[in-house]
Amino acid sequence: MHDTDRALNTLKELGERIIQPILDENFPVLEIPDRKTDNIVFDETLNQFVLGPSSVIRDSSNVKHVRSFAQLTWTAAFAKELIEAARTSSLRDLYYSSEAFGVKFRNQSESDRIVTDLECITGLPREGFGIYPEEHSSIYGKVRMKYIVPGYEGREIDLTISPDGLPIGPALMTAEPVDSDAQIVLAVESGGMFSRLIETKAWDRFSAVLVQLGGQPPRATRRLMRNLHTSLGLPVFIFTDGDPWGMHIAKVIMSGSANAAHIRNLTIPSAKWIGVTPEDISEYALPTESMNNQDLKRLEELSRDVRYSGREWQNHIRDFKRMRVKAEQQAFSRYGMDFVVDTYLSDKIL
Amino acid sequence: MSHQKSQTITFESISPAEFFYRNRQMAGFGNPTQAVYSTVRELVENSLDSCEDAASLPRIEIDIQDDTSDNIIIKVFDNGCGVPSDEIPNAFGRVLYGSKYSQRQKRGTFGLGVTMAILYGQITTDSPLIVHSKTPDSQGMLYQLLVDVENNEPIVERSEELQRSENGTTVTVTIKGDLKRAYDRLMDYLKLSVISTPHARISLTIGDNVVNHFGRFSNTIPAPVIASLPHPRAADLEMLRRLTQKNSSKTLHDFLCDSFQRIGPKTTARFLRFMNMNPHQIVGEMTREDLTKLGTSLRSYDGFEKPDSGCLSPIGKQEFVRSVASQFNTTLTHYSVRGPSEWQGNPFVIEAVLATGDDFPRSDTPSLFRFANRVPLLYDSSDDILTRVMKRTRWARYNLHTAVPVALFVHVCSTRIPFKAAGKQSIASVPEIENEAQLLFKELGRKLSKMTTKVQASAREIKKMREFSKSFRQIVRFSASLAELENVPSTENLVQALFEVDTDA
Repeated sequence: MHDTDRALNTLKELGERIIQPILDENFPVLEIPDRKTDNIVFDETLNQFVLGPSSVIRDSSNVKHVRSFAQLTWTAAFAKELIEAARTSSLRDLYYSSEAFGVKFRNQSESDRIVTDLECITGLPREGFGIYPEEHSSIYGKVRMKYIVPGYEGREIDLTISPDGLPIGPALMTAEPVDSDAQIVLAVESGGMFSRLIETKAWDRFSAVLVQLGGQPPRATRRLMRNLHTSLGLPVFIFTDGDPWGMHIAKVIMSGSANAAHIRNLTIPSAKWIGVTPEDISEYALPTESMNNQDLKRLEELSRDVRYSGREWQNHIRDFKRMRVKAEQQAFSRYGMDFVVDTYLSDKIL
Repeated sequence: MSHQKSQTITFESISPAEFFYRNRQMAGFGNPTQAVYSTVRELVENSLDSCEDAASLPRIEIDIQDDTSDNIIIKVFDNGCGVPSDEIPNAFGRVLYGSKYSQRQKRGTFGLGVTMAILYGQITTDSPLIVHSKTPDSQGMLYQLLVDVENNEPIVERSEELQRSENGTTVTVTIKGDLKRAYDRLMDYLKLSVISTPHARISLTIGDNVVNHFGRFSNTIPAPVIASLPHPRAADLEMLRRLTQKNSSKTLHDFLCDSFQRIGPKTTARFLRFMNMNPHQIVGEMTREDLTKLGTSLRSYDGFEKPDSGCLSPIGKQEFVRSVASQFNTTLTHYSVRGPSEWQGNPFVIEAVLATGDDFPRSDTPSLFRFANRVPLLYDSSDDILTRVMKRTRWARYNLHTAVPVALFVHVCSTRIPFKAAGKQSIASVPEIENEAQLLFKELGRKLSKMTTKVQASAREIKKMREFSKSFRQIVRFSASLAELENVPSTENLVQALFEVDTDA
């Protein structure tokens, strides 16, 4: 239980940093790395985005700071309780728990932000404190994992156990891969495509571990994918809708998000976006929808994003802008139920 | 020629008593409810004036007995200066006779009110008035009086010496009236009377039970007012005629010096030169035209100083604020005064208290309480110039919103209050009073606004500090638990120090 000891020590140190000035009749001040986008830089050695040198001050003597200072202190104390009791809490749960302590958050996004503050200040991911988002990702494939969570220590599980896939939660995230018959990890954006690939036994055909991302995937999912990638050496393929949002899901898995720039060990730089690319849309003559203003605006933003500075990505963006259309994963169904597996994925993966 | 009967028109004069009885609504005796209220009011005001003359702390006892046939016996006792026995019949039994025609602030003005009450009682119940009075020079004298309406003369039914333990007057009148319906007005009137006369104590007994005590909120007797000569600008033809008749042998120069205030030999000489009049003219020989010219000149000449205000008796800041705060539940009070100023040669002072408190209704304009020469005005408020000025004032500008319960107590005092009618219930529109009232209300509005802002700011400050210290206590508690500290240190000193610095800055 090395990790939990480290988390507890970090929290204790944080407490001392706050209480010591008070004992000396001073107001404590905390320095938190700045998460603004202009403080996010690409770290070549880590091959991911990290926070730059600038930081913000949280001064407890400042009337405007004191509330969030108190929220941060409470969140840390709450994390300590979670670890000591070997419990976990969802972000939503944490938001509601605060009321029992007389700590008020205006809404969940405020409490989520404070949790991120705690990550930044301690350098530990929230999962290390037993705090998880609501899960909506699943996994299915020929992999055996071994749980390490209390009560299940040492128990193994086959990820094909349920035909619906297995939800990815804290237990699965921390579980250790034992062995696998799979060759690749195939992550898909929508639940519909995930089910289709299970039903058509595409996982068998491609020897793939299927991951349902459900939009922007939670960190637990990204962490599990990375775990499979690093410990089993499985290459990662990402299959999303053919629009700027789908493209960005893939990009975040590869290079990390601005939101989690303070977290290490989440990115899979070698992952590959197989599509739907703008090229696919024309090549497979997919049914399309025209892009709306938000789509075009998003493209504009992405074209300036450092993560998209590579030639290949700039080409994708340029093509999208030129075509002004988008296509969903399900668009392949126009050629029949099995087209996507028999033709498209075979083309792309094999 | 037709057979029409030619009408004979007969001319006859009526006495003032008869005139006022026929037009009794003018004097506030229009109906049985108003009659009860007006009777009590006239008697109480007379008593208060009398106590002021005696320079005593007024103690007034009102006793009302209601018999079965709507006959109401009203008895008012005071500890004033009393009425000399030989003046009693005329003072009470004759309309427009009295001691109140001098140039000074008095509650009564026309010498009419009490006699109206007597007249009204006499005609509705056929019972005489009973006056029992004692001056320092007498042991006490009891009179039973009626009014000869046709001739405006008192009829003495009975008079006898009767011992009275202290100086003062007790008047008993029997009238037809509606006590039940007058009751609320009466209570309002007495409640407000002790605000404008805070040094008075008034008790009201109805039947055999003491119903209520009002006042006293102050033991300070106001400085006695000094009667003054009329100001030259107040001179009208009637006054000039009366004065010249009294001083018919004087020269115009001496007459002006002796009969008016603010006009000595120098001013007189300047005035007469300016108006091109002969200073040596004997006033008794002046023609009507001369007098008219003199009156017009006196009223229009702008070289006279402001009228003397020593004849006025404003309530004063301390007393006014204290009496308002004693009678009502107030949170904030503001006092302002304007004047002395004048209207047509009559000096006047206007003072007001703006009070907030739960007793007052919540509205976007303050509830208005009007006083004239220390008498509360209860009827006809919509006709009153003060009401109109109050409504015209844009209170919303001064942070007065419907959520604030606020009242405005305004007192106008003058040697002459321009009442609209003999009932003395509303003040007529006089530009000078209107202007001063306007300025006064604005001044109070600004004070209110300033105070509200201050109160809000300090409430915000307190709230801020409370929230801060709550958050800070949490910081200490949770960080102590993180650091595994046994005891949670106190935060009070730190927070206190922080906010002391903040408020200084």
